[in-house]
Amino acid sequence: MANLSLSHVNKVYDNGFEAVKDFNLEIEDKEFIIFVGPSGCGKSTTLRMIAGLEDISSGELKIDGKVMNDVEPKDRDIAMVFQNYALYPHMTVFDNMAFGLKLRKLPKEEIKEKVVHAAKILDLEHLLDRKPSALSGGQRQRVAMGRAIVRNPKVFLMDEPLSNLDAKLRVQMRQEISKLHRQLGTTIIYVTHDQTEAMTLGTRIVVMKDGVVQQIDTPYNLYNKPKNMFVAGFIGSPQMNLLDATCKVKDDEAYLEVGNNKINLPKEKSEKLIKENYADKKIVMGIRPEDIYDRESLESDVDKVMLHAKVSDMEMLGAETFLYFDINGNSITARVDPKTTIKTGDTAEIALDIHKIHLFDKETSKTIIN
Amino acid sequence: MATIKKKIKNKGNIAVWGRTLLLILLALTIVFPLYMTVIIAFKQPTEMTNDVSGALALPRHFSFQNFIQAIQTTDFFHTIGNSLFITIVTLIVVVIFHSMAAYAIGRKMNKHKSFNFLYLYFISGMFVPFSMLMLPLVKETSIIGIDNKLGLIILYTVFFFPMNLLLYTGYLKNIPLALEEAAYVDGATTWTTFWKVIFPLLKPMHATVIVLTALSVWNDVMTPLVILSGGSGKDTTLPLAQLLFQTQFGTNYNLAFASYLLALVPILILYLFAQKQIINGVVNGSVK
Repeated sequence: MANLSLSHVNKVYDNGFEAVKDFNLEIEDKEFIIFVGPSGCGKSTTLRMIAGLEDISSGELKIDGKVMNDVEPKDRDIAMVFQNYALYPHMTVFDNMAFGLKLRKLPKEEIKEKVVHAAKILDLEHLLDRKPSALSGGQRQRVAMGRAIVRNPKVFLMDEPLSNLDAKLRVQMRQEISKLHRQLGTTIIYVTHDQTEAMTLGTRIVVMKDGVVQQIDTPYNLYNKPKNMFVAGFIGSPQMNLLDATCKVKDDEAYLEVGNNKINLPKEKSEKLIKENYADKKIVMGIRPEDIYDRESLESDVDKVMLHAKVSDMEMLGAETFLYFDINGNSITARVDPKTTIKTGDTAEIALDIHKIHLFDKETSKTIIN
Repeated sequence: MATIKKKIKNKGNIAVWGRTLLLILLALTIVFPLYMTVIIAFKQPTEMTNDVSGALALPRHFSFQNFIQAIQTTDFFHTIGNSLFITIVTLIVVVIFHSMAAYAIGRKMNKHKSFNFLYLYFISGMFVPFSMLMLPLVKETSIIGIDNKLGLIILYTVFFFPMNLLLYTGYLKNIPLALEEAAYVDGATTWTTFWKVIFPLLKPMHATVIVLTALSVWNDVMTPLVILSGGSGKDTTLPLAQLLFQTQFGTNYNLAFASYLLALVPILILYLFAQKQIINGVVNGSVK
């Protein structure tokens, strides 16, 4: 149970590559923090620096107020679950879980008690005598968790623990991890590139790109109030539609020109654009697929902008249908009711919810208004 | 369609027959000398003839007389004791120290140039012929006073280091770094990580190293011949004692071959044990 603080942490490799740049984060006790981002964004490196497996080039890492930069991994009181589980292949499940406790020279009885207790939580009791090679992927994953749990560490670090599991097992394990977090009440830092895992598990999410933190926020805020175009595009599946637009002002009201289409904006967005002098400037308009409706399912067209576009493709997923439109060379996706009668090749009328439009500065990629 | 299938089948058959024939031929190259060794070991010198049918014929009556005599001539139990001592101690030292050194070098050579240099330096030792080192080594060992079993063990440990380093570092690449990292996070030091995690995982390579090193040490004549020459003969190894059979005036093949067969037994037993380990290792490695 611990607080963790990273201030101005940098990681520069010997070859000059900057993997992590000025990372700042305060983690409260019992938080479930997710590091998410595309491959090579520095999320695993940051986790490994917290674990002590990578040196911190500059900056400060504190666990419970104590500076940990030069402390050996074994003395940091952390436990880590690795992507490939890293179970010791020559040891049984019991020995794998007991390894850390044996090194701490705990009495045999206590070790047994702790391992059996953890095995009970993870439903591994009947597997304690097996070697890792005789376990399924999901079971190995649980042993890796068990190895972390028995130690009762201050902080749990998890490096893409579910990425080697199949889709069904992943959902199941995701729920189990969430349950574990509630049960154990330990601080967890979890690295993933899967945004579903990030959104469902995290109390707060750190979105990273090219070694730089893009936004640290709750899942809700990340989705609804992204700070920049990258976060907007990264979080959400299918991703947010981003369209190039020109801001025009007429009679003290700003509107957007997307190709030949004119898109009116609600008052607060219009005022913000005028106030920040975006008139006649290129900006980027973002809208989530679920904020685009097809004409048939539209209950009211108040505050909606109607566009005509040709359906280039569609995907039926059962509970929902994705329509892919082409608007002036921009491909946009709409998530619509599966009852829709629109078909590939049709020219359909679609409606954009203008209140849900996000506006981004084209040059800085920063959000103008959400 | 049927004819094509038949053709393919015929072709397949030919290939299978070809392979079988080749394997039989290869097997013969091993089985034939072994057969000769066994029958000669049991024959009396009077039965040795120069005609083919006579040479290939089984001995008229099997007797262990040659073996008994060979044991006496070579002071078998004493010399095999020396050979066993030298081989076993060398193996223990080699497995412990070579794996440790290979772990240090293998894990660091990609990060530090100095370790990479060390690796290349030691590996280059493989290309130095023994004959080049022989005379200086004879001098050195006798000056230091290790022209005995101890000296042999030290020399073998050094001679086999390049090959074993190559084998161990190659195998280490198959052991994921994450295992060591997991051990560090679990609370292990580098020392404990090596002994509790890495050393047991190197088992298949230990078996390979043991078999290769044991074979060479056990059969080596040259090193004991030159190093032990100053000694009183109490350290004589079995292959060295077997040189007795080859005299200036001829070779007693019957005794020599009986003795060679006796010398073969321990190494064969070792191989049978190690072979199981090697196969186990290969199977374990395939399951990730």
